[in-house]
Amino acid sequence: MESTSGINESNELSLAEFPYIIRWREDRCTRCGKCTAVCPTRAIEPTVFLQRRAFSKGEGPNPEVTREVMQGVQQINDLERYCTGCATCSFVCPNVAIEPEYNPHHKFLFFKNKGGVPYKRGGRRNDPGVSTVDQLKFSRISMLTDPALDAARHEFYVRTLLGRVMPAEDLPLKTVDDKLMLSGPSTFIPPVREIFPIRIGSMSIGALSPNMWEGLAMGITYLNEVEGIPVAMATGEGGMPPRLLKSRFLKYFILQIASGYFGWDEIIHALPHMQEDPLAIEIKYGQGAKPGDGGLLMAYKVLNLIAEIRGVPKYVDLASPPTHQTKYSIEEAVAKMIQSMSMAWGFRVPVYPKISGTKTATAVLNNLVRNPYAAALCIDGEDGGTGAAYNVSLDKMGHPIVSNIRDCYLDLVAQGKQNELPLIAAGGMGKTGNLAANAAAMIMLGASAVDTGKYIMQAAAGCLGDEYNRCNICNTGRCPRGITTQDPKLYRRLDPDKVAERIVDIFVSANVELKKIFAPMGRSTQLPIGMSDGLSVSNKETAERLKITYAV
Amino acid sequence: MSNKKQLIIQGKKDGKRVSSQALEALVQAAVKNNAGNLKIIADGQQGVGGRIWPDLGPVDIEIDGPIGQRVGCMGMAGTSILVNGSASDDVGWINCGAKITVLGDVTNGAHNAGAQGLLYVQGSGGARCDTMTKRNPRFAPLQSWYFRNVGDSFAEFKAGGIAIVCGVDSRNPENILGYRPCVGMVGGTIYFRGPIQGYSEADVNLEELTSQDWEWLTENMKPYLRAIDRESFYEELTKTIGDWRKLIPFTPEEKAERNETVDREFSSWREGVWEKEVGPAGIFGEYLDHDRSIVEFVPAGENRRFKPVWNNNQYLPPCAWACPSDIPSQERASLIRQDRYEEALALVLKYSPFPGTVCGTVCPNLCMDACTRGQLDKPLDIKSLGRLSLETPAPKKAKPTGRKVAIVGGGPGGLSAAWQLSLKGHEVDVYEADGVLGGKLELCIPRDRLPQEVLHKEISRFEELGVGVHLNTQVDKNLFKKLYDDHDIVLIAVGAHTPRKLPFSGSEDTVGGVDFLKDINRGHPPDLAGQDIVVIGAGNVGMDISAQAFVCGAKSVTAVDVQPPASFGVEREAAEALGTQILWPKITKSFNLKNREVNFEDGTSLPADKVFISIGESPELDFLPPEVDTSRGLIKVSMIQQTSDVKVFAVGDATGPGLVTHAIGAGRRAAEVIHAQMMDYDYVPEAKAVIPYDRIKTAYYEAEAVEEFDSTSEANRCLSCGSCRDCGMCVYVCYWGAISRVDGPGNNWSYVVDEEKCIGCGFCAGTCPCGVWEMDKNL
Repeated sequence: MESTSGINESNELSLAEFPYIIRWREDRCTRCGKCTAVCPTRAIEPTVFLQRRAFSKGEGPNPEVTREVMQGVQQINDLERYCTGCATCSFVCPNVAIEPEYNPHHKFLFFKNKGGVPYKRGGRRNDPGVSTVDQLKFSRISMLTDPALDAARHEFYVRTLLGRVMPAEDLPLKTVDDKLMLSGPSTFIPPVREIFPIRIGSMSIGALSPNMWEGLAMGITYLNEVEGIPVAMATGEGGMPPRLLKSRFLKYFILQIASGYFGWDEIIHALPHMQEDPLAIEIKYGQGAKPGDGGLLMAYKVLNLIAEIRGVPKYVDLASPPTHQTKYSIEEAVAKMIQSMSMAWGFRVPVYPKISGTKTATAVLNNLVRNPYAAALCIDGEDGGTGAAYNVSLDKMGHPIVSNIRDCYLDLVAQGKQNELPLIAAGGMGKTGNLAANAAAMIMLGASAVDTGKYIMQAAAGCLGDEYNRCNICNTGRCPRGITTQDPKLYRRLDPDKVAERIVDIFVSANVELKKIFAPMGRSTQLPIGMSDGLSVSNKETAERLKITYAV
Repeated sequence: MSNKKQLIIQGKKDGKRVSSQALEALVQAAVKNNAGNLKIIADGQQGVGGRIWPDLGPVDIEIDGPIGQRVGCMGMAGTSILVNGSASDDVGWINCGAKITVLGDVTNGAHNAGAQGLLYVQGSGGARCDTMTKRNPRFAPLQSWYFRNVGDSFAEFKAGGIAIVCGVDSRNPENILGYRPCVGMVGGTIYFRGPIQGYSEADVNLEELTSQDWEWLTENMKPYLRAIDRESFYEELTKTIGDWRKLIPFTPEEKAERNETVDREFSSWREGVWEKEVGPAGIFGEYLDHDRSIVEFVPAGENRRFKPVWNNNQYLPPCAWACPSDIPSQERASLIRQDRYEEALALVLKYSPFPGTVCGTVCPNLCMDACTRGQLDKPLDIKSLGRLSLETPAPKKAKPTGRKVAIVGGGPGGLSAAWQLSLKGHEVDVYEADGVLGGKLELCIPRDRLPQEVLHKEISRFEELGVGVHLNTQVDKNLFKKLYDDHDIVLIAVGAHTPRKLPFSGSEDTVGGVDFLKDINRGHPPDLAGQDIVVIGAGNVGMDISAQAFVCGAKSVTAVDVQPPASFGVEREAAEALGTQILWPKITKSFNLKNREVNFEDGTSLPADKVFISIGESPELDFLPPEVDTSRGLIKVSMIQQTSDVKVFAVGDATGPGLVTHAIGAGRRAAEVIHAQMMDYDYVPEAKAVIPYDRIKTAYYEAEAVEEFDSTSEANRCLSCGSCRDCGMCVYVCYWGAISRVDGPGNNWSYVVDEEKCIGCGFCAGTCPCGVWEMDKNL
């Protein structure tokens, strides 16, 4: 206990250093306590305020004092309990009496390293600027020069191919009596899946709550089976419940394997009981949000459900190292992993690696080009999200996705392989809500598909995070929406049916938006992959770098 | 038909085609010349028959030969056009009232953007016929009649007018309306007869004809069939209403309603499809045994994140935490506030036999330094409250237990243990080497600071209790062995009485400070008149020595120390008030009695007739058996004051230097352990944490100038840290009415929470003046 004289206010922070400041309206507050009951970080607390007034009545100084002690809500001056700006307090307040206000002068990062532990968080890169992909515009509109299409009237083929597309002459096929027959020394035809070009990127069971994950899974299944839109979803590294593995729905899901190999023994145990093959296998080598950094699922999140699905004991820390442990070169990593994973399903399932955005992406790409089993390359750019990472990794590590994908595509073009090996762009897709536009732009730069994660969490489940570091506490297990928590009290706030419904809304509408972009550009029967003459940007350097039109 | 003579206009002149512009000029000139009946022998000219002004009277135009696009475009009321044979694209484009009859087929885009007028087609229509047609309320609606079928994309964005497709000898027998008709159609009606393959279901509805429809159709069918020379089909086409159907657009309201009710019925899909395939309760069903229903953000009851706990007296208040004797001053204040004055005064005697002597007189009152009230105005006057118990008689003893304890040393530590053990009913014998009880309280504390009557009053309580006192009994090895054998436990509290000396030259000529103090208290004060005195060691004992030296007549007193002086409080103030100089750092080098000089390592010196040394005292432990370990001249004890011999305990200065209150606390805690050991039960020392200051809400209290001590107002000043003062604030603060007060048992009370009402907001904890309510995770 500090002694009375030991209270040293010089060492305390003022609230002016805090990133969000609570504005509490004493005159409106009913003192119902909903705000303090709901605050995820306990940044606000009930307390008593004293109002003491000395006054004089009548003529002459007749001093009197009134004192009133009233209860109210105060913001806690403790960085471990900082207000994240999530505004759940405002959300539950019956009287519009409380809200957090962003403090542009905050000094949060100067202090958030208590005990020598650097600031860790979840979410996204805190960069509220306009991303490059959001600056791209579709400028080659078919005006009399080509037949313009009408998004509402024409039929569109908004599908992409996941898997290696071999040139016809290289396929081990020949025509015998007007029938196509397998022939040749090898009869291997790489597996290819036809999917919608926007996918739900990898988010694991564990990173997400069961209600969130199941909501996504239901939405995906519904889109495939009822709406006829073949949207794919990747599992993330956290395994998959056997009930889903053994169901006919497995074919809509991409199973991810990563450096922790969590859940894979359970997946392999389920293999003999599978009715369907998974859609694809994604081998995760890196994550755009935190390149070169691993993951750690804290022991307190490893409850029954996670433990069972990942095939581990309860209450243990689960580490995914930054690197795979037995792979020492590109050649080895790619060959070994792709081959093993292909083999697991008899070479019937596309297998591809996912790397974080990096200057060395083309080196990986060129290795894959030479590997007949490589089905695609997924690159996750710096604007990707994560459940937990060091702030420094999130904010300062990584490569923008736009030029990374562009370089890779042009590299493929130079080799004449651009139609063979699909590129998948991830990281910041739909960052500011323009999911379909971002997807279309990436496709025109050369991607075959895009992955989106944060957009999904925001649009389908109301994730509160933003680039001003609002909320972004996915790592703490206290997600106020119930998206990234294993606490039933929190995730039971989230209705999986509603998540599923929103997933359907999102993709049905993205489908319309993609058509609205492609139609005026005269494209309907094929995805305009690499149709970069359709794009322009009002920044000369960007235009030069991406080899697209500079238009002002 | 106009009965004017037909004027023939040739579309070909001298074997060459007349341009559309020239032909149009001829037609316009003829009409202006009142030629109401024209025959045009066309040769592919565009736009023939359009734009003829109605105020020039009716005009009939008959067209032979191959005609170009946009026949009758922008045609107006009064113009009748008859095309002998088929017509090309866009017949009647933006028709504004012309009647156009085509005795053949029309190709693409017939009546595109048409607004008024009639189009009678004897054959079929091409693609995109009747697209973008309008309805202007000033005029009758446009009609488009097709005898056979129409091509793809029929009636796209149709906004008005009536289209009729009779379906006779359709060129596509399976589908008379073509591929995907009515996309974006918002107005008008399509009557059709025959099979179709779909239409834009988002825009139009397929319905049966009403009798009004049928009446209109059968009536308007006649002039149409007459115009295209197919009157013989009238009977077949009007045979039965059931052959016909109509497509009409949804109203904007209907569309809005349809959009709103895009109900994907997820819950039924989940049950019927999802869970049927993956199992009941979904993909995680087998792992989650909790209720899966959706909870609100701020639930009450078991789903709350936090719950309040009424932690009354679960934490130590800062006063009791700081008090080495563990005296709960907040409890005393509470009893006074409850008008239980006698109980309040007796309470302290459970912790110390010396409330008047120690709390009320010689103790530096660490409790007051820690007191939360001190952060507001002044600490609670615990010293005065302690003094109140001076006259309080000893509590009642428990029944005799038959257990015996010998206590070596009748100072505060030994007497504290004797007090506690005696109260618990044990037989206690105290062996004191001196002629009186009290130890340093009696011998070393100057009388002006501790009036003897106060001490003697409190020592008299021991007589009330019947503690066996053996004065003038020096315990040696033999006696110790006897005590050890005759008693269940021996507790050593011999204190420290041998002044420690330093090995400097002349050290042997110095006088032990405590010996000096003892001489005074025994009534033999030395005469120091006119002498210069140096006191080595400027702690509180050094201060007492300094002050007493002045009392004994010293001319000057200088207290020196090697470090910042540890003295504080009344001792320091008294010594300095009398003129004591304090110097540090001073490392003594030598004392030359002959030269009356103390020399220091720094080369300085002080005049000194006498040097008192006061750097601490060591215990005399020669009587100890080897089983009792010592270290650096002190008895080694565990946390529970036990020595290496389980039957032997030790407290006070014999175990290490401390305040009187430390010895009292140690004596009491040793007595607890000894009691448990003798009575054979497990002793678990209570380890309570102190309540943090910020849990106490000083806002409720007014900073006030405390003048005269008064026990009641003092009790009211107590902030009751961690201890409920029964104010009921929590009951009033709780918005949800979840907290109530419950009486009993005895004089006690408690506050309880209705779990079903509580949302865990923490207002009770945040507003409790005493910090009693605490929020816990609701697991």
